[in-house]
Amino acid sequence: MAAGKDNEKQVLKDWQDEEFMKDEQNQKLITEIAKENIRLSQEIENLEAELQETISSQIKEDIPETKMKFTSLESPENDSQFLNVSCSFQVMSPVPYELQKGEALITFEKEEVAQNVIRIQNHHVQINDVDLEVVAKPVPLKSGVSFQFHAEVSKIKINVTEIPDELPESQMRDKLELSFCKSRNGGGEVECVEYDKQARSAVITFVETGVVDNILKMKDYPLYINQNCHRVVVSPYIETHVKKFQIFSGISKRTVLLTGMEGLQMMDEEFIEDLVNIHFQREKNGGGEVDVVKCSLGQPHIAYFQ
Amino acid sequence: MSVTQDAVSEEALFMERHFHILQEEQARLKMRLQELQQLKREFGNYSQVPFPVPEVPLVFQGHIQQGKEVPRSLVSNLQICYPLRGGSALVTFDDPKVAKQVLQQKEHKIDLEECHLRVQVQPLELPVVTTIQVSSQISRQRVLVSGFPAKLRLSEEELLDKLEIFFGKTKNGGGDVEIREMLHGAVMLGFAKDEVAQHLCQIGEFTVPLGGQQVPLKVSPYMSAEIQKAEIGSQPMSQSVLVLNIPDVLDGPEMHDILEIHFQKPTRGGGEVESLTFVPKGQRGLAVFTSESG
Repeated sequence: MAAGKDNEKQVLKDWQDEEFMKDEQNQKLITEIAKENIRLSQEIENLEAELQETISSQIKEDIPETKMKFTSLESPENDSQFLNVSCSFQVMSPVPYELQKGEALITFEKEEVAQNVIRIQNHHVQINDVDLEVVAKPVPLKSGVSFQFHAEVSKIKINVTEIPDELPESQMRDKLELSFCKSRNGGGEVECVEYDKQARSAVITFVETGVVDNILKMKDYPLYINQNCHRVVVSPYIETHVKKFQIFSGISKRTVLLTGMEGLQMMDEEFIEDLVNIHFQREKNGGGEVDVVKCSLGQPHIAYFQ
Repeated sequence: MSVTQDAVSEEALFMERHFHILQEEQARLKMRLQELQQLKREFGNYSQVPFPVPEVPLVFQGHIQQGKEVPRSLVSNLQICYPLRGGSALVTFDDPKVAKQVLQQKEHKIDLEECHLRVQVQPLELPVVTTIQVSSQISRQRVLVSGFPAKLRLSEEELLDKLEIFFGKTKNGGGDVEIREMLHGAVMLGFAKDEVAQHLCQIGEFTVPLGGQQVPLKVSPYMSAEIQKAEIGSQPMSQSVLVLNIPDVLDGPEMHDILEIHFQKPTRGGGEVESLTFVPKGQRGLAVFTSESG
């Protein structure tokens, strides 16, 4: 009897040891998988960041000054249009093509002509003593970006900065309202004050349009705190937005790429351009009315597509 | 079985479950990693974006980079809208010298038959954007919907509404739509929650009921833009003058004429008027300015 029980105990113990071993193994497995998952997550994070950087782009533009002219009087559709002077324009990034040595770009007036030239592919250009075999291809273009830029300069709000940090928030807000409603200083009835004590700045909204113009005639404005007068800096309140941001892929329908002119390095680019132009003007050569020809013989050029 | 055995097997079950969960997670992570590696490969060669973008026809018109010139973006459709209050007018003179003369007096007295009106004049300055810096990156909340057939018989508003309805439903894999925009050959949809955008991109293809047809559409990641910097300057309109606080005593057309007569009088400092726009009291106007070169 006792031996049986002992056996049972031993079996139980063995079983427990086995289970314990299994547990340890399982525990190890689980730890391994968990570690691997962490490693994978890290790798994913890094790749995502890398992709973000490579795919993201920056557009820096100095907008050339253009003279503006009054065109028409409209009715503002909503309050926002009436309470802001808005400036908007469309931006389209340039799509460059690097013209390599021995390549030329030719733009035809008609799309069908360009497509036909590409379809024929191999062209034998022979004028005077110049004998060329050129290959016509579509131009591989990169992608560009287009968007609308909007700026709204408020007619009822202004930015106030360099506000001294001397009073508790609520009190300073009152002082701001009191100072900015004094018409003798150019102010007017204040609708509301948003004050950021830490940034030492505020946004003041007036009830009437027109007050902002008066105040902004000067770069600063008197703020009265108890017996003292501080000059705080005033500037326009401007909101900017980008709308209809879109990446597009450039496709050239009227411009054709010609290759095969590497052997002409010594010749004059303009001379060859004229020859190419003449050749492709002729219908019997599969061509038609030509707008522009540009070739690169000595050094590469960067051509811009619009 | 004994208590210890129960406890042990419960723990074992728990571990097994934990093990499976981790295995599933690993499978998901590996898939995502593969996706990203694929994107990285596709992106490697040209700076093409690895998802569908609309094609815009471009032409080479002879413009070659000169020297160290940095490529310039094309800026077009430049428009400035200036609000005009009721009881104000915008006068543009042929000669900027005339405008300057008119502005020398802050207040003008306009003669009517039996009395005169007092009005104020002010110079006009328009805000102009001088520099912008915009950066773009893959958006977490927005997607690009593309693949629309050429002859879709829907207005812009109708199309946007139908897309918002379809992709607003969780049963379609979507969620609350926060913003929608019509683009060239595609539509941008922005969702309140990040996961919705990612989920929709993973599914990729949808059949959407549009205008009586079942249209196959593609959903892909959207690059959205952020303004890093914008500098605004001002352009003084040297030929123009703002006339303010015009009393409400005459009809629109009549007041227009009276003002024009006054500002054309050399004796009052005026001169040849190119254009005059009057906004009667009680109305609101928006003066639209465009670029001279068009």
